Amino acid sequence: MKQKLAIGLVLGAAATAALAGPIEDQIRFRQSAYSFLGWNTAKIKAQAVDHPETFNKEEVVAAANAVAAVANSGLLGLYGEGSAEGTGWKPSRLKVEYFEKKDEVKEIEAGFIAEANELQKVAASGDVGAIKEQFGKVGKTCKSCHDLIRVRE
Amino acid sequence: MKVEVHVWDWPLRLFHWLLVLSVLGAYLTGKEGGDWTDWHARFGSAILGLLVFRLIWGFIGNTHARFSNFFPTVPRLFAYIKGDWHGVGHNPVGALAVLALLSVLLILVGSGLFANDDIAFEGPLYSLIDKDLSDKLSGWHIRAVNVLLILVAIHVTAIGFYQHVKKNDLIKPMLTGKKKLPGTLAPTAVASVGIARFVIGVLLSVSVVWYVWGGDPLKYLQPLAGIQSAQAGGKIQ
Repeated sequence: MKQKLAIGLVLGAAATAALAGPIEDQIRFRQSAYSFLGWNTAKIKAQAVDHPETFNKEEVVAAANAVAAVANSGLLGLYGEGSAEGTGWKPSRLKVEYFEKKDEVKEIEAGFIAEANELQKVAASGDVGAIKEQFGKVGKTCKSCHDLIRVRE
Repeated sequence: MKVEVHVWDWPLRLFHWLLVLSVLGAYLTGKEGGDWTDWHARFGSAILGLLVFRLIWGFIGNTHARFSNFFPTVPRLFAYIKGDWHGVGHNPVGALAVLALLSVLLILVGSGLFANDDIAFEGPLYSLIDKDLSDKLSGWHIRAVNVLLILVAIHVTAIGFYQHVKKNDLIKPMLTGKKKLPGTLAPTAVASVGIARFVIGVLLSVSVVWYVWGGDPLKYLQPLAGIQSAQAGGKIQ
C-alpha cells in the first residue's frame, strides 16, 4: 500500500513537472500571465478610476473576466524549484525566499482569487464607484505579493 | 539674562509641520497601497511643492531659514564640536540632519515622479523614460524609504535628547517661532516676513507641481509677471 502510494506520488510529481515544463517555460508562462494581467488591469484603471467618463461596460467586464481567469489559473504551479534564478522572456524577479514562504504566498493567492472573483461580479453590475473600490482591493493583493517575494530592480 | 527672540519665521514653521503631515501621509498610504495609491501620489505632490518652497526660501527667506546662514561648513562643525559655536538657528550638526532629510526627500520625490508599481500606478513623468529605468527608480524609491526612516529616527531622538538631557526645548520654538536665548545673542533676531517673497515662493512651488501633472502654469503666470516673463515664456514653450 505504502509502495503504491509512493509510486503514485512520484508519478504525480513527474506528471505535474511535465505539465509545467522546464523551468524556463514556467518563467515565460508566468511572465506572460502577469503581462496579460497588466493589459487588463490597465483598462479597468483607465475606465473606472482615472477617466470614468470613458467607462465602457463591455470592455471593463471583459477585462475583469480576464483578470479573474488569470487569478484562477493556478499561477503557483509556475513557481518550480530553481525558478528564482532562471530567465524567461527576461530574468526572473522571484526572490529565493519564496521557497520558505510558500504558505504565506498561497494565502495571498487565495486572497487574489477571492478579490478577482468579486471584481468580476462587481464589473457585471456596471457600478463604476464599486468597480473602482474593488479594483483597489485586487491591487492590494498584488502589492502584498510584490512586497514579499519580488526582487526590487 | 535670557531674552525671548523670534528665530523661525512663520513660513518656515508652516513648511515644517506641513512636511511632517505630508511625509506621514505618504508613508502610510504607500504602505497600504490599493485605493490609497492615489493619495500617495497626492501626498508626494504636496512634498514636492513643499521642497521647492523650502529650496527657494533657503535663498530668499528670513535670516535663519537661509542655507548660507546654517550651511554646515567644516570650520563651523569644528567650532560646534569644541563648544565654540554660539549661533541662533540650526546648529551645524542639526544643519547636517536638515540637509540630509531634504536630500533624501528630494530623491524620494524625484524617483516617485517616474515610478510605477506594476499594478495600477504610474508617476506623472513615467512616460518620459523607458520601463526598465522606471523599474529601477521604483526600486530605489522603496530603498530610500529606509534611509528616510533612519534619518527621521535620528531627528526625533536628537530632539528628545536636547529636550530631556540638555534641557533645551526645540519643539516649542518650531511651533511659536520664539527661542529663549542669552541676551548677548538677541540682536540676531529675524525681521518680519516679506509677504511678496512668500507669495513668489508659493506661486513657483504650485507651478512646479502643476507643471509636473501636465498643467501649463506659464499661461497664468505671464499676465501676473508682466512683459518680461511674457517674452521669456514664448521661448520656454
